[in-house]
Amino acid sequence: MDQRDTSFFRRPIPPAAIVLIALVVHAPLLIMQLPTTTTYDANFHIFFASHYAHHWFNPWNEQWFAGFSQTTYPPLGHQWIAILSFIFGLNMAYMLVQLIGVVLLPVGVFRFARLWVSERAASYAALLSVFLGTVAFLVYSAGQLSTTVSAPFYLLALPYFYEWLRWGRGRALAKGVVLTLVAASIHHVTLLFGAILFAAPVLMLAWMDRRAERDGGGLAVLGRAAVFTALSAIGVAIVLLPYWISILQHPIEQVPIPHASRSNFLLNVDYGMNYFIVPYGALILALPFIVIRGASVPRLRPLLIFFWIAFIFGLGGTTPLPRLLLGRAFQILTFERFTLLAALLALPIVGLLVEELLDRAPKLASIGVSIAAIATFALALGWMYFSPFKTIGGMNVDSVVSFLNRDGHDKYRYITLGFGNALPKVSTYTTANSVDGEYNSARLLPEMTQYGAAQLTSAKFFGRAGMESLRAMLKHANRYGLKYIFVHDAYYDPLLAFAGWRKIETFDNGLVTVWSKEDVPPARKIESDAIPAPWEGLLWGILPIGCSFFAILLWLLVPDRVRSLEIVPSSTPAEVPTYAREAH
Amino acid sequence: MRHTFVFFILLLLSELSLTGARAADLHPPKQVTAGNGFSIATTGNGDATFYLVGPSDRAKQTVRLGNAIEVAADDVRTAGRYIATVCGSDGCASSAFYVVAAAPAQLSFLVHPSRVPVSAKDAISAVAFVFDKFHNLVLQPVKVDFNVAVKDAPAISRSLPTNNGVAWIRLNATRKGGPAQVVASIGSISEHRVVQQVASDACNLRIKATRKGNSVAVETETVRDCSGNPVPDGTVVTFTATDAKGKTTVDAPIKRGTARVQMRLTGGATISVASGVAMGNEVRIGGTP
Amino acid sequence: MRYLLALLIFAVTLLFVAVGWVTSGGLARAEIRSASTPTEAVQALLADVQSHNWDRAYARLANNKDIDRSAFERDLSGSYRSLRTYSSLEGFDVWPIHAASEQAVVRANLHWSTAVGPIDDVRDLKVEHQGSSWKVDWPSPNLPKVPPQVIPVNYLRWDVINRGPEDDWGEQNVDTPQVRIISMNPVERPDRLIILGEIVNEDTVPAYVNVNATLLDQHNAPMSQEGSFDKISHTLLPKQVSPYRIDFPGIKLKQIKSVRMDAKAMLVPASADPVIEVSGQRMNTDALGKKVLSGELLNESGQPVNIAQTLAVFYDSNGRVIWVSDGYIDQALLPQTPVHFAVDLPDDVAAKVQNYHVTVNHYSSGNS
Repeated sequence: MDQRDTSFFRRPIPPAAIVLIALVVHAPLLIMQLPTTTTYDANFHIFFASHYAHHWFNPWNEQWFAGFSQTTYPPLGHQWIAILSFIFGLNMAYMLVQLIGVVLLPVGVFRFARLWVSERAASYAALLSVFLGTVAFLVYSAGQLSTTVSAPFYLLALPYFYEWLRWGRGRALAKGVVLTLVAASIHHVTLLFGAILFAAPVLMLAWMDRRAERDGGGLAVLGRAAVFTALSAIGVAIVLLPYWISILQHPIEQVPIPHASRSNFLLNVDYGMNYFIVPYGALILALPFIVIRGASVPRLRPLLIFFWIAFIFGLGGTTPLPRLLLGRAFQILTFERFTLLAALLALPIVGLLVEELLDRAPKLASIGVSIAAIATFALALGWMYFSPFKTIGGMNVDSVVSFLNRDGHDKYRYITLGFGNALPKVSTYTTANSVDGEYNSARLLPEMTQYGAAQLTSAKFFGRAGMESLRAMLKHANRYGLKYIFVHDAYYDPLLAFAGWRKIETFDNGLVTVWSKEDVPPARKIESDAIPAPWEGLLWGILPIGCSFFAILLWLLVPDRVRSLEIVPSSTPAEVPTYAREAH
Repeated sequence: MRHTFVFFILLLLSELSLTGARAADLHPPKQVTAGNGFSIATTGNGDATFYLVGPSDRAKQTVRLGNAIEVAADDVRTAGRYIATVCGSDGCASSAFYVVAAAPAQLSFLVHPSRVPVSAKDAISAVAFVFDKFHNLVLQPVKVDFNVAVKDAPAISRSLPTNNGVAWIRLNATRKGGPAQVVASIGSISEHRVVQQVASDACNLRIKATRKGNSVAVETETVRDCSGNPVPDGTVVTFTATDAKGKTTVDAPIKRGTARVQMRLTGGATISVASGVAMGNEVRIGGTP
Repeated sequence: MRYLLALLIFAVTLLFVAVGWVTSGGLARAEIRSASTPTEAVQALLADVQSHNWDRAYARLANNKDIDRSAFERDLSGSYRSLRTYSSLEGFDVWPIHAASEQAVVRANLHWSTAVGPIDDVRDLKVEHQGSSWKVDWPSPNLPKVPPQVIPVNYLRWDVINRGPEDDWGEQNVDTPQVRIISMNPVERPDRLIILGEIVNEDTVPAYVNVNATLLDQHNAPMSQEGSFDKISHTLLPKQVSPYRIDFPGIKLKQIKSVRMDAKAMLVPASADPVIEVSGQRMNTDALGKKVLSGELLNESGQPVNIAQTLAVFYDSNGRVIWVSDGYIDQALLPQTPVHFAVDLPDDVAAKVQNYHVTVNHYSSGNS
């Protein structure tokens, strides 16, 4: 007689409870608007969203780089913020969109893990995803809104991909493709690597499952995969058409900008801590189990292999593999996002580990795993304060904004020095334009692309390249109408003094000084061939957001009729004692 | 915005009625002085509305046709063309008149430049604009007295009539440096400006050098321009010395009329001096005794 | 068989990490740290300086008993808010000049990233063999120390009160200073066209000047516009002359028909202090074989000058400006303390130089 085990520790955690836990953990931090003060990129995303809020159908933004096209970055995340900003304001709208991402993540992890492991192990994987160090790192330190919102949509699309591959259900194809388009409309890089790192193991799994079920069914799986890939590719090509046009017109050919995530973490302890220890946290302890169990169970091997690839990529320049495989793209990409992808790929196996631990010693394991999860999350949050890499996104820029917006000062361009990631905050609220900006891929001005440095505001951190770039820009101040310079770091004072700028005002008890050059003419429009055509603006304003509305409609109107996750063989090897088995 | 709109409507009505049929008539004076009240005689009978539209004033009142309309002094403070319109039951009638500036009461006095080298010909430009107490430019010719006074030098006075409200004069800078008081006046109204007459380039620049151990003290005589005016303090004098170790240069500002430096020189040296493009003398100094 | 894949993954991962460590310079770094050759000893020392690991760098000195640790640190990290305090050692090239069994001389070209741009500094370092490794015999830092004293300073200062926004339009204002470009000479170099010359403040008040040049093509249309940037003394006291230099990269003389010069001046508050003597100026050849004009700067005032820049103008036999070069001084100019300077110039220009003049531009923190 089959007897159900009713122990709390041997039952799956309900997804609703996991979502609630995600809300409890992340909502307070987001309501406190932590990312605006602690992250590198939150202000950047808010700045992009602000432009859409004011110019929905015009992606040409003159506030940075003397003009750049926002079609160089998928718009959906920013457009959601823009829409919500009309009700909640820009900052809170950002937090809401981010909250959607972190709440959808455990749901996505659960559904993805369910492809590989039991419902119970999948629920543990989903719960652990709430406390992932890499999620905390990306959300509260890096501010990678697009990656963290796009990844859950990929994860949600994968079970439909599997369902389509296995059983050829049309509605699964439709939902899978639409969710892929939504994910791609949020972040292009996640699309590219997600397609390889997530879709490939699922394809292999479907192929293996199909062959195990029916002899010789592999070709049908491959055929369906081709259909899914073709539809997704066509959809992405159409939905993000202005992006492809801009990237083909202006491929990224600038001199590579150094990034710490491309370093060898063994040669720099701080980088190792920042990009390995903190994002993985207690997952590092589970690495041997992930590899051994992943290798032992044939069904988990595709997952293991692609986890390993993502893991190696997440190590940046610690191994030569990413550089060899990516070529020049290695110098353009940043690699912290691969840590998230690796962790998400590992979670199903980690769910198995937790399942086994709970079966062996329920109370001890539950306490141990909880402490490990919370410690991982706490380490990632605590690292923001102990890390040598500090952000100043929370800096008060009101006086700077007020100066620029009064007395016709916005007739000229400006730059900031020493403002770090507070620059987008200035740009969001001022009517004046800058030649600087925080989005390296969109830069076309030679003074910025030829030196191998990123933002002018952080020039000193890029050493000689940064200061050369700054000098080049200051030399051409008259050409760009660059009259005002706001300095939040006295390091830059000597250069400005020798180069002909004069200090004219001081704000915030001397923390910020304003420098001006008298012979600079008012800024004029800089002609560019990168300005998108009006029809591109129209497409950009309609298709990505349309995809997301269509996805919501599909979810509401076409419910999942068949659970695609009902047939999952056990991922526990035969010789491992089985303490509980699911009833199918 | 709303007021501007009403103003234009009134102006349009007035202009139309000037050429249209007249049920009532207005007889304003041809010319009125700004800030003076006056009466406008009317013909016709019955109640009407009177409008007065000027360059920056407008007024409206209910009047009785046939009686004189009293226009208050405050309604005609700006010089220019005014249109008086009266609208009764039989239609509107308009008439134009001019308000001219009142008696001169203010001077706007532009003097350029604020600094001028001594002896410069026609270097000072003084322009006076005559206004009444309501800031109307007084177009009637008025005599403006220009007076330039420099300490220890005879004053220069000239009297010129205004032309369309403006009088101007070009003056030579005197040979004597120092502040020149430039005054424009009409009766009791006057405006003062100060033009600094400054020394020209240094002239006959001379130095003397005295050795003190390993250093040489070099000092200029009082630096003056060719008119004998002392060159202002702060003017840079460049000392150049050449000795066995090479060349030594010092840019030193003049303080209290002279510039002085201590130069570390070994052995014999040749020392020269310059200020701007003006060269001075050259002295040779022997080695350490 | 089951564990083969796991073992393979562990092995390949370790292999990749090991290869990455070697290719990223981990092995080279370990070798350098051993300081088994004179060159490695200097490299190890400079690597420690680069990472601000002063204790380890100090331990690598052969003569650390003769050098105070803080003096060594100040020698390399600067003091008195000098340019060196605004600098970081970004890289270095090291090559041996002379080597024997117990002593060697190694030349190091230090690439500094500074607040005013990149600066290179060449040093010849003696290296000694001590025990199993080599150690650097660091030249004893000659850090200036100003004795306690009172330096009477009676300097001049100009303050400016301009017409306020609430003043009547007829209210008198102060005029901008009169400045004049007294010479202009276009010089063609292999990679650029350079406009050289001098500008004088003809007025009796200080002027803040910027010189811009616009190149006009054969149709009198503007081709390119550049400014003097930091190759000029922007603050000119009355009758002060400054050289200026405007570079047009990638342009040839034959491409242009004329040059439109534009000198913008404005009245600014200024001080006549400090007075800086430039002594011992002479043309010679430096250790790298380049022609340089070198000398000493002496701050005759009582306040330190944090950062000084020398601007040298070179004339030919006709008194024409044929070159302008500049250099920043990485030491602060303390009162009455001479500091060495050198600015280089091309060999072909050096052959034509008949005369030269050096002016000093300065920056003092808090006085910008």
